[in-house]
Amino acid sequence: MVKSVLLISRQAPWAGVGAAEALDVALAAGAFDLPLSILFMDDGVLQLLAQQQPQRLEQKDLSANLQALPMFGIEQLYVAQQCLIQRGLADSPLALTADRLDDAQIQQLIRQYDYVVTL
Amino acid sequence: MKFVINVLSSSTAPSTRRALHFSQAVLAAGHEIVRVFFYQEGVLTASNNLVVAQDQQDIAQQWQAFIAEHQLDAVVCIAAALRRGVLDQAEAQRFGREAVNLAEGYQLSGLGQLHDGLQQADRLISFGGE
Amino acid sequence: MTTLHILNASPMQTTQLNSCLRVLSANDSVVLCGEAVQALRAGSAAAEQLQGCDRVFQLYALEEDVLAREIDISHMPVTLLDYPAFVALSIDCARVNSWT
Repeated sequence: MVKSVLLISRQAPWAGVGAAEALDVALAAGAFDLPLSILFMDDGVLQLLAQQQPQRLEQKDLSANLQALPMFGIEQLYVAQQCLIQRGLADSPLALTADRLDDAQIQQLIRQYDYVVTL
Repeated sequence: MKFVINVLSSSTAPSTRRALHFSQAVLAAGHEIVRVFFYQEGVLTASNNLVVAQDQQDIAQQWQAFIAEHQLDAVVCIAAALRRGVLDQAEAQRFGREAVNLAEGYQLSGLGQLHDGLQQADRLISFGGE
Repeated sequence: MTTLHILNASPMQTTQLNSCLRVLSANDSVVLCGEAVQALRAGSAAAEQLQGCDRVFQLYALEEDVLAREIDISHMPVTLLDYPAFVALSIDCARVNSWT
């Protein structure tokens, strides 16, 4: 039985390499055809915002890796709705399609996976 | 029970010491550690270049000894290691760097090794941050 | 099929505790270690948060961290763990979510 992984990504996109290194974990799972879903939570929800300009910080644009996720077979993306609301982003367009989950739905989501990796 | 231990912090972080003591307890209880994977700041724990004051605990050295004693599979994520300046002979040569500072007993490899470990194991415990 | 949540950061410095309490399920377990044991300080906002959670969960703390900081836990429903007990707990739960 293949074991499933839920990756909870909590870091803001350019607050160091944390967000990118979390995404790398997802891409690696995809490369090996392993079941992995991503939940963007806390400042991690900021990774999904459309219209970012990382080149102004001379940082690599995460959106390239984010856009690559479906190509690697990582299609199930979730975002914590409460975290978007707390950041005033409830109505902001997201760069990727992600299911918005409330807290109760996240509680349920976690229970569906063999492993949880929070980065 | 089979464990994968994920170390995400450097040797000065309390979490790295906790990871060591937890891992020791895992083996003492008769369980198996499939792999210890060092990622993010955890790659710094695998450096052989650390100098620790005499009156302090050398956690990196303790990790190295633990890995050697139990012949554990200690994998350091190569991408995370390179960007933080932890290199083995091959990478130092490849990139023209002077220092070979990956400690004995550790191997540089990819994130695939983390996932491979997870597929073999029953539990993943990560230690990081603080 | 419960989840073991491990917290290690100060509840006043990070959102770890907040976020964990929102996503934990009834009957999950929470282990406080490192600076997260500050949440056990009676009368603190974090202690009130722990006690005010609307789901029932099992609260644990790493003994060495509580003793090192001489935190009085007499008013908290917390069980102290040594490392062997910590390992045993990680096995009793179906999965471990380490918050970093």
